[in-house]
Amino acid sequence: MDISELKRQSDLSYDIAIAKRNALEKAHSRLVLVYNEHIFRADAQTISLVKTLHETNTAPFYVLDTNENPVEISDPAEFIKTLIARNQEVLGAYHQICKTFQKRGD
Amino acid sequence: MTKGVLLFCFNTPDCDYHRILQRCVRLIRKNLRLEITVVTDFDTYTKMSPMGHVNYKFIEPELGNSKNGSEWRNVDRHMSYELSPYDTTLVMDIDYLPFSDNLRQYLDTDYDFLISKDAHDLTGRSSFDLRRFSMIDMVWATVFVFKKSAKAKRIFDMIKYVKNYYSYFVELYRIRDRRFRNDYAFAIALEQANGFLTYDTLPVRLPTLPPDCRIVDIDDVGLTWQYGDQINQTQGQDVHVLNKELVNV
Repeated sequence: MDISELKRQSDLSYDIAIAKRNALEKAHSRLVLVYNEHIFRADAQTISLVKTLHETNTAPFYVLDTNENPVEISDPAEFIKTLIARNQEVLGAYHQICKTFQKRGD
Repeated sequence: MTKGVLLFCFNTPDCDYHRILQRCVRLIRKNLRLEITVVTDFDTYTKMSPMGHVNYKFIEPELGNSKNGSEWRNVDRHMSYELSPYDTTLVMDIDYLPFSDNLRQYLDTDYDFLISKDAHDLTGRSSFDLRRFSMIDMVWATVFVFKKSAKAKRIFDMIKYVKNYYSYFVELYRIRDRRFRNDYAFAIALEQANGFLTYDTLPVRLPTLPPDCRIVDIDDVGLTWQYGDQINQTQGQDVHVLNKELVNV
């Protein structure tokens, strides 16, 4: 492989890395959702916490939103459903974008 | 409860900002689906193409600020509280292009005032991570949400106070940039109004293209930019475009 081909590959890798970073940032923005007038991230940590609390406590229980304010969760089943729906919508879209990166890098 | 978007748009001798406004309005209507009020002056208004149902508020912009040698009409943001006709208002820079509906949900929270503290450099250079050129964390007054409430009123009153004595606060907080910047005025006011501790923020980093990025192509779903010999694009992601050549794309 000559140096020009190496440079081309390097440029392509850089472009893909930037695009992937931006796609991840886009996913992080989309993971944020408003529920019960408070702001949450539909990430693995929130889902795990709410699911655990739901399994070990009777509703209502309390969690912190993104600004560290307590929020009463009176319908945990609905909240978990909302969190998972958003989480999988976002990660599904991110997965699709990542597939296009793989094709570009082939 | 009424909700809507408040935009400020004033042409300058160097930039036809109304052309950026028209693009922004189209995207707000498509993605955010909120009522829109534009704060402008009559000269700028006469140059605008018809944009459908948009409310207008006419003011004479305060002059005297400049950026890179050009006039910069950015001083009137402190009047958002009085100018907004809505109970809950999303204020956006017109060069913040909402290619998604992400911002819409922030009008449904219990918070009186929300603003972002971070920006994401879409070119990957982390240009905005080293902007602590002061003793205070900067906020991005590019996008913020407020309710008509006593707390929000207090914050805007404090912003007005900071604006009136801005040269003093620039010294106090050792802000390197001597021009009036809403980002610092809001940051100072939020800190002062919230007991010098903390305040509520939007948990997102605003995707931003630095001024040295040229916009190559733009449509209703996203844009393509060039930086050096690199070309990249994004779709379905809001973008704050700092290069005003956006006017000519």
